[in-house]
Amino acid sequence: MMTEADYYALFEAYALGELAGPARANLEARLAADPALALRYADFTELTDTLRAYGQRQQVRQQLKSMHATMLAADAPEAFIPAGTLPETGQLTSSVNPILRISRTERRLRDFWNGHRATMGVAASVAVLAVFSTLLGLEWWRAAKTQPSMYGYTVLRREVERIKKSQKDLSITLNQFGRSAATPPVARESSGTGFALTSEGYLVTSYHVIQGADSVLVEGHDRKRYHAEPVYSDRKHDLAILRITDKKFTGFGRLPYAIKEGEADLGERVYTLGFPREDVVYGEGALSARSGFKGDTAFYQVSIPVNPGNSGGPLLDERGNLIGVVSGRQNDAQSAAFATKSSYLVRLVDSLAAAKPAVPYLLPRYGQLAGNSRPQQLKKLQDYVFVVKVFE
Amino acid sequence: MSRGNPTSSPLTPTDDALIVAIRGGDERALAHLYRLHWPMVSHFVLQNSGTDDDAQDVYQEGVMVFYEKVRDGSLELSCQIKTYLYAVCRRLWLKRLTSKSRFGVRLLDDEEHGPYLNTGAEEDLLAAEEQDRRFDTMSEALNHLGEPCRSLLEGFYLHDKSMQDLTAAFGYTNADNAKNQKYKCLVRLKKLFFTHYKEEST
Repeated sequence: MMTEADYYALFEAYALGELAGPARANLEARLAADPALALRYADFTELTDTLRAYGQRQQVRQQLKSMHATMLAADAPEAFIPAGTLPETGQLTSSVNPILRISRTERRLRDFWNGHRATMGVAASVAVLAVFSTLLGLEWWRAAKTQPSMYGYTVLRREVERIKKSQKDLSITLNQFGRSAATPPVARESSGTGFALTSEGYLVTSYHVIQGADSVLVEGHDRKRYHAEPVYSDRKHDLAILRITDKKFTGFGRLPYAIKEGEADLGERVYTLGFPREDVVYGEGALSARSGFKGDTAFYQVSIPVNPGNSGGPLLDERGNLIGVVSGRQNDAQSAAFATKSSYLVRLVDSLAAAKPAVPYLLPRYGQLAGNSRPQQLKKLQDYVFVVKVFE
Repeated sequence: MSRGNPTSSPLTPTDDALIVAIRGGDERALAHLYRLHWPMVSHFVLQNSGTDDDAQDVYQEGVMVFYEKVRDGSLELSCQIKTYLYAVCRRLWLKRLTSKSRFGVRLLDDEEHGPYLNTGAEEDLLAAEEQDRRFDTMSEALNHLGEPCRSLLEGFYLHDKSMQDLTAAFGYTNADNAKNQKYKCLVRLKKLFFTHYKEEST
């Protein structure tokens, strides 16, 4: 019986071609007939082949290593390399690849960057996302807070930013049309326009100008200031009546304009004075509709360019009759301003007068402006138009 | 070359000549090849957060794959040697990086080395990996074999020493004794090798 080692001796002799004719034929026949033997032979070849290939691989690896060393040695500048010593690899790569001659710090930075590129990318995008979503979220939140509707929202904001210190509050159309609950302007101090109603010290302005007011200050064209207090407000028609409370106040004198009780006609030329900025500003246009925002019949639509601060200003016709009180504008329409009809003012005053107040209402019956040129009219008018400053 | 039609071959004449020379066992040709493409691979590895040593390892591994394919005659190049080597080394380095890094790895490629896909490098590397595993098992088995078997077998199969030299070196009385000993060692090695190898495969 042959041992396995004996078989291996036989196989090796066969593989090396050392077997003589008959022995070889004999083995080949047995290999063909006996699968177990064939398997054993296959194992043997696999083993020896692997061994040889393994040896070869080690050899090649050695060869490549020495090639690398020779290559580096050949490429390195000879002057710097003492004969027989292998140069340090680190120095040499740079001479192999001139592009890679970079400082240690830069290398470290590059390594860091390469290693953490993905992380930093993720971090950066998260940061950017967070910033933008915060900004956007704030924006939405503020939008939702200030105005639920699409009208007026942008303008109110601009208003708040623009007039932080000074001026003027022409409120958005929505406010006075009562669609939403009152929203006080964000600015601490806001202002509008007002004008004299009677010579005894009653003034008219828009309701939304004095809305939420703690104290009201009236400042005339001549820089005289008076304290005033709201006497009555009509939120539906955006009207407010003020009374000057200062002791030193003696009266306005005779008012130059009359208040029209009827309705004005379509196409009438109209103008207003107001304080959208520190100085009085004149605006002119025509009466373009006899109803206001969304068909509200208490208002006129006029084609006067108005700005925040014009609210509460008088609207006069050619002959100097007061026909309305400027109230607001529509943001998505070109120069569509609205003014409360004077007939509503007259009706309001009548009902107040009926209650017999301490200071009676004596409305001016006759105007003095008819027939004067416009600058003349304005000269007379401007003493009766005031800035209404409201402190909240 | 395994490709019959020289006109359609994308290989440059020097590539062809190099392959022929390497297959013929010309060491200078291999050295030339080695030196020719080293800057490319080293640059690539260094650019992708590797060190000089990494570059050398990867490059030698890559050249080894190429060399072994050339030597068996099983190399089927559909592109330049340069591109093939680049693809192989790129793949090798990518593997090492992914095993090191927690995150996905993106490599910076040199534009000039162009289409490194479809170079056949993937399949060749898979085969090479299988081969590596086999060699690792062999090395393991040899380590477990113990002396003098290990030295005897290494002397004969790895270093191609003749039986006479080995007989003298190991102090056997005659060559037949040495041969018998060698076969016994071989049988033991076979057991070690196949047990490990098959264990790992399953």
